[in-house]
Amino acid sequence: MMRKLANLILLLVAVAFCYGLQISKPHYGDLIGPIPVRGKVGDTIVGRSFEVRAEKLEFARKLETDRFGETKVLTTGGVWAVVTVAFAARAESTSVAVASWRGPTGLTYDHTERLSFVNNGFLPVTVDPGLPRKARLVFEVSPAEAGNATVLISNKLLAALDSQAEISIGPVAVLSDGFPVGTVDTLDLSQPIDGQPK
Amino acid sequence: MTAQSVVQDNGLGERKWRRRSLWGLLVLIPLTLAVEAYDSVKALLGDNDLFERSVAWGQSAHFGGSDWRLTDLRGAFGMKSLPPDSVPVLADFSVTVGDPDLQKLWLGCKVMLIDAEGRRWSPTSIVSLRTPDNVQTCISAIFSGAKTGETLNLRETFLVPKAATKTIRPAVGLGSERPHFLLFQLEKD
Repeated sequence: MMRKLANLILLLVAVAFCYGLQISKPHYGDLIGPIPVRGKVGDTIVGRSFEVRAEKLEFARKLETDRFGETKVLTTGGVWAVVTVAFAARAESTSVAVASWRGPTGLTYDHTERLSFVNNGFLPVTVDPGLPRKARLVFEVSPAEAGNATVLISNKLLAALDSQAEISIGPVAVLSDGFPVGTVDTLDLSQPIDGQPK
Repeated sequence: MTAQSVVQDNGLGERKWRRRSLWGLLVLIPLTLAVEAYDSVKALLGDNDLFERSVAWGQSAHFGGSDWRLTDLRGAFGMKSLPPDSVPVLADFSVTVGDPDLQKLWLGCKVMLIDAEGRRWSPTSIVSLRTPDNVQTCISAIFSGAKTGETLNLRETFLVPKAATKTIRPAVGLGSERPHFLLFQLEKD
């Protein structure tokens, strides 16, 4: 009788232990998810295949760019956040294709696709070892999500078990109308990025 | 046979089987790991250019069913609007087709430049130079329908830092030959 009871208790303990293992294990998506490499604006963040440094952050109400020789103005109901970054490849030529803007509340904005007609200076960017390149990352975000945000950058969309650079933007002062301090009316993206031939 | 001897026999048999099982685990656990890892190892070896096969200057090497020979490697100096301290490099190959099933054998064809530090450059899209009609890239040659005995002229364009041009060597990897790849030596080697 005692032996049966002991076996039963052992079985229950085993079941409880297995259940504990099951509920405490990381989700499969987390296990094979991207590996974050964190830094601030101005830091060089070193991932597996690329390095990135955010050099400048600008906010604008409108963007201006060239499309087949004519000026195109892109308006938004929110605010444009433009991050100028310098990319460098590590041991191999690589391309960086994906970026997103994660606001303080967790809302995540993908890199805009409204500039897909411009093929130079925006994602995807190909970088070769020893030849760093600058690019602009452009996000269309809600003004409330502009401060304390994180810019996430990776080689490709499903960066499973690969590095993802996470650049913290830090607090951004806001004006009475809710827009970040220093928001310009129009930002001209047809201008070359500092120090890089067009 | 008394009841006691049966019990004793069972005890002996149980011990023997327990020992056999433990030895069995020694075989089964590594075997399970090997079976589980097989696909991953196969993918790792099949997707990466890991082991070089050196080809002397002027020699051709049988690779992916065809004979590959490096004919030229030169810099295209004097081009404007390029990143500072960079130079376009052209690598020319002459390939005599053996097995014409290029779509299978040349799948995943990758031409690259490797320097002394092991850094690898892939063909660039930043520089586009005019090429003669009979010159193709590795990928376009796959769909050229070339027959056995034909010679293909391949050219790939790279953009490398000036400082790396002294030690770069061209290399070719093909899906059917991975993890091996060809590393071509230059005349000066």
